[in-house]
Amino acid sequence: MDLSQYLEIFIDETKEHLQTLNDQVLIMEQDPENIDTVNEIFRAAHSLKGMAGTMGFKRMQRLTHDLENVFSEIRNGKMSVTPDIVDIVFKCLDALEGYLANIQDSADEGTEDNEEIIDLLNATLATGLGQSEDSEPPKAEAAPVSAPAGEEDKRKFRKLPIADYEVNAMKEAMERGMHAYGATVYIQETCILKAARAFLVFKGVEAVGEIIRSEPSSQDIEDEKFDFDFSLFIISEKSKEEIEKIISNVSEIKEVVLEPFTPETIQSTPEPEPEVVKEAPKEAEESGEKTEAAPEKKKAAETKKKPVVNRSVRVDIEKLDDLMNLVSELIIAKNGLVSVSESEESSHNQQFNEQIEYLERITTNLHESVMKVRMVPIESVVNRFPRMIRDLSKKLNKEMELIMTGEETELDRTVIDEIGDPLMHMLRNAADHGLESTLDRIKKGKPQVGTIRLNAYQDGNNVTIEVSDDGGGVDVEKVKASAVKKGNISEEQAEMMSDKEAIDLLFQPAFSTAEKISDVSGRGVGLDVVKSKIEGLGGDVEVNSVLGEGTTFIVRLPLTLAIIQALMVDIREEKYAIPLNSIVTVEDIPSEDVKLIQNKEVITLRGSVIPLIRLDQVLDMEPAEEEPESLVVVIVKKGDKQAGLVIDNLIGQQEIVIKPFGKYIYIHRMFSGATILGDGGVALIIDANTLV
Amino acid sequence: MAEIENMDETKQYIVAKLGSEQYGIDIAYVDNIVRMQKITRVPKTQPYFLGVINLRGEIIPVMSMRDKLEMEEGEITGSTRIIIIKPEQNASLGLLVDEVREVVTLSEEDVEKVAYDNGREDTGIYVTGVGKYKDTLISLINISGIISD
Repeated sequence: MDLSQYLEIFIDETKEHLQTLNDQVLIMEQDPENIDTVNEIFRAAHSLKGMAGTMGFKRMQRLTHDLENVFSEIRNGKMSVTPDIVDIVFKCLDALEGYLANIQDSADEGTEDNEEIIDLLNATLATGLGQSEDSEPPKAEAAPVSAPAGEEDKRKFRKLPIADYEVNAMKEAMERGMHAYGATVYIQETCILKAARAFLVFKGVEAVGEIIRSEPSSQDIEDEKFDFDFSLFIISEKSKEEIEKIISNVSEIKEVVLEPFTPETIQSTPEPEPEVVKEAPKEAEESGEKTEAAPEKKKAAETKKKPVVNRSVRVDIEKLDDLMNLVSELIIAKNGLVSVSESEESSHNQQFNEQIEYLERITTNLHESVMKVRMVPIESVVNRFPRMIRDLSKKLNKEMELIMTGEETELDRTVIDEIGDPLMHMLRNAADHGLESTLDRIKKGKPQVGTIRLNAYQDGNNVTIEVSDDGGGVDVEKVKASAVKKGNISEEQAEMMSDKEAIDLLFQPAFSTAEKISDVSGRGVGLDVVKSKIEGLGGDVEVNSVLGEGTTFIVRLPLTLAIIQALMVDIREEKYAIPLNSIVTVEDIPSEDVKLIQNKEVITLRGSVIPLIRLDQVLDMEPAEEEPESLVVVIVKKGDKQAGLVIDNLIGQQEIVIKPFGKYIYIHRMFSGATILGDGGVALIIDANTLV
Repeated sequence: MAEIENMDETKQYIVAKLGSEQYGIDIAYVDNIVRMQKITRVPKTQPYFLGVINLRGEIIPVMSMRDKLEMEEGEITGSTRIIIIKPEQNASLGLLVDEVREVVTLSEEDVEKVAYDNGREDTGIYVTGVGKYKDTLISLINISGIISD
């Protein structure tokens, strides 16, 4: 069978399962007694094993199998969770991630056997079980997966506990000449709608008899809370063969193991009965053949009854990119129409203008819808951080906890893909440099456990992510001294510097105040890379720090990259776009209100002094022949800093599509891109952040 | 068939005029030739870039060949053209020339390679050779040299 078509689903689901495992093991570490967590882990490990097996990834399957064994014993209460187990399990998860990475790259799991981890897992199993009283021989459990499960195992229903009233019900039925059966139904592991298959089995059986018990319960089965088999106790007038036929007629049923229950089997503890054992699988094989022949007819009926499990569709991101590009083109075309209609206003009637407005509304809505489709919660990036902080905590020997809020905040997929590394770097930075050692914290009278917070929220057209720690804060003097020593700044400059400016030095290339170089951080590559990456995404990053109390990194990112709202302005004969999200207000300022402070032009606006930036000068234009009576000033902000950009004329707000410049031209960083105007011309987009 | 056999030895060039000189651009790089249109100035870029244009939704930087080859300023006339070249997939560049004349086919023996100073790399040099066509000389532009700085 060609499995390549399932590879993507496999990769996605494996990621999800590994994430669940990571999350749950973290919970388990805190709360070893929590049986729900153990169950959850067991389920995830089991599904992972099944999936890896189906896809033919033998090494991965073997590792998960052994992992599952450990949790199976924990679940049965035969072993308890120890820190050692948690460590080994995490190693095991890392190894599984390694397999997954290989599979993603080459559709092959690679050749690493991870024998060491498997041995560790089995050793854990052996020691764990040795301590408990009624130990099963661990070898049987830890047998290699390649060996087929014994026939005995298939009759899972035999292991089910039977309640008295159920026994009575069966006895009564038998007295009335009916038969009681125990059955275990196996669904093909490739089956996607297993709940639907199970439902059809139930329905078929209930037509000819009664199900007195199912394991898992019918509710769980409906919710797909089962692996690839379930067991039933059935009372029916029909013969064994008939019931087997009914069940195996349902498509994608791999095997049915059905066995009559006599009062003796019910009462006596299930002992292997060789005769029956031989018989049952044979029947099953026969019915297996029937299954293959029959299923087509039933399909039509099944599709109607499909429960609506999930109303989502997986779409290749490239298709969404194509869609976004088309929407961009549409917006450019619309802008073209708008500018035509404006220039020849008199020649058009009102209806034409109404239609244009209608078109504008539609394109805006279309853009928003497509944008929403591309939005992904940042959860998909940040959910690996708790694990990372746990590992760092051990490695650095500092006690710390990570508190994350706002994981549901959504960002464009392109931004999400890029933001992981910078955030990871900032967290590592907080863990390594930000937080003091546990001993220092006790000395300072701080809580022993350091806290790192990651908080994300949407703020207008931006998303803000804050990474803060309650550590020692940035020692400004130390930063200055280090910068002077490295020759980044002169001593005079250092003295003149405000604290804020000094903290910004951290973002300079090859700057690290860590005296020791650890493999966690402190190699001097870092914050500058973080900064350039975030700026490359059209965002910015800022640091606030209070000595002794902690440091906060504030990252602001645009919601979307391709299409933005911008204010179009005239500067002399040229048109420029200023992104709306950095604009505070637009003001008319009388020329005489412009003051000089330290030889720089400033204006006073509502009590605050704002430096003035003459865009014509910045853009290398000839100075105006005469100063106009009043200046049009666009007030822009970056964090809590503001600046006033002097322009000649406002054109208005427009939805613009950001286009890259070609590859071969040097572009000053003050331009974040170019856009195509309604008349087909090009306007440059001024990144106000770089000017403030 | 004869043409195909000759492919290895002959190359086609678009001949453009700058002042009185003729320059040849390997036709394999040429994507399009467009008339002069409004060029949006890009402040603070390299001096030989005139700016960017919009060509069917793509922003393409336009370089003045006269400035690049350090010739005196020319005039924009009705015959001024922008030759759009695509040195790489998804990366275009416009070259502003005074006039585009014709397409010529030059065989290897028609081309005289320019002798480089020892040790100089291929890039950084704008002309790779001189082709003789009929009784005129055509300087052959080295595309990788033009885009490398």
